[in-house]
Amino acid sequence: MATIFSPLLAPLRAAVRGARHCGRSGAERIMAAAAGMSALCRRLMGSLRLSGVRPSLMAAGIPGLTPNLFHKSQAKVELLHQLKFLHTTLSRKGLEEFFDDPANWGEKTVKSGDAWNIKQLRAKSSEDLHKLWYVLLKEKNMLLTLELESKRQLKPMPSPERLEKVEESMKNIDLVVREREIALRLLQTGHEKPVPGEWRHDFLGRTYWYSYKEWPIPWYLNKKYKKRKFYYLPHVERFIRLRLEQSLRTRARRQSLEKTKQKLLERKFPHLAAKSQSQ
Amino acid sequence: MAKIGAKRAVYPLFQLGGPQLRIFRPNFFMQAVRPGVPQPEDTVQFRISMEMTRIDVKNYLEKIYNVPVAAVRTRIQYGSNNKRNHKNQRVKKPDYKVAYVQLGQGQTFQFPNLFPEKEEDAETRSHDDFRNKYMESEKQRQEGDPRRGGVPDWF
Repeated sequence: MATIFSPLLAPLRAAVRGARHCGRSGAERIMAAAAGMSALCRRLMGSLRLSGVRPSLMAAGIPGLTPNLFHKSQAKVELLHQLKFLHTTLSRKGLEEFFDDPANWGEKTVKSGDAWNIKQLRAKSSEDLHKLWYVLLKEKNMLLTLELESKRQLKPMPSPERLEKVEESMKNIDLVVREREIALRLLQTGHEKPVPGEWRHDFLGRTYWYSYKEWPIPWYLNKKYKKRKFYYLPHVERFIRLRLEQSLRTRARRQSLEKTKQKLLERKFPHLAAKSQSQ
Repeated sequence: MAKIGAKRAVYPLFQLGGPQLRIFRPNFFMQAVRPGVPQPEDTVQFRISMEMTRIDVKNYLEKIYNVPVAAVRTRIQYGSNNKRNHKNQRVKKPDYKVAYVQLGQGQTFQFPNLFPEKEEDAETRSHDDFRNKYMESEKQRQEGDPRRGGVPDWF
């Protein structure tokens, strides 16, 4: 699998890196102001842009909206001009980015901001989210390296909560980008899922989601596909019923067990039971 | 994070002249490791995600980190299966992939010491002093009365 990673243009990255340690610093606020300066049209374009969708496709999908490329580029130039002197952190390069800032080496705790929550990320353009992903990716690599090295040296890792914060931020970015993809897909095609599919039965009558996939040959020539059974025979119905009964019985048993446990606890600690009921 | 994004992406079937596969939000991670066996100066050792290939490692370092890469070798380290739990069942340590990256353009790399000895500040020094005093007094109590001349307690 030969893949190409596609980090976006370098210039804005420094500004985003200002929000290092997933904190929201002054750079972010200034960036938001700069983004506000650029016209609303660009905002609209940004919200409609989807990772991996070509602009020609977009134009075809929405006939009324043709991207005004000149205006966009002008906005970008303005933005760059404003951000030229806004480097909050030194742009370090190369393998040094796998390690923390040398000032933090040997410290017991390292200060860090909060994780990015989903509301803040929803307000960002797709491009910014994409850049922030790479910032967080580098941060996570750094923290993982630090964790491994501290394990090797049998020392406590300085501020391990940073790792959880980065993970949460990345999860939130992923959620936001997928939300946007779904919204755009619903507009363009009316499908919610990226891969179409349907509910099917297998030969034991169990229902499952079958997602379609691309085949190199049509299905009627595909022996392997034709061998699969997406139906069940009438004599299986009895077993479906039995399976249902079994699942119901286990559920009832579990629930009754929980209830008896609850009662036992209430009898053991009556003062706590009265308190929990009053609340 | 569960396996989402690049690790579970559904790619279109390959056809001649089709577009190159691209990963937009890679969730592959690399950890720089202090090499256990001494390596040449230009070689960096990494622990990488299991799904990554040599070409992925090269692209990752060149595109994201701007590091020139000459060659990459990978291997999979088998996690030991010898440990037993309290029920005498085998406990498997997870396998991991190791990459040896040779840097290009005559670059060299030395793994830094991430935990250098720092000068103690006042608080830790006072804490250490207190602990030392306590340990000394405890030691004296253990030794017992010096006037008894080493005669045991039960006598």
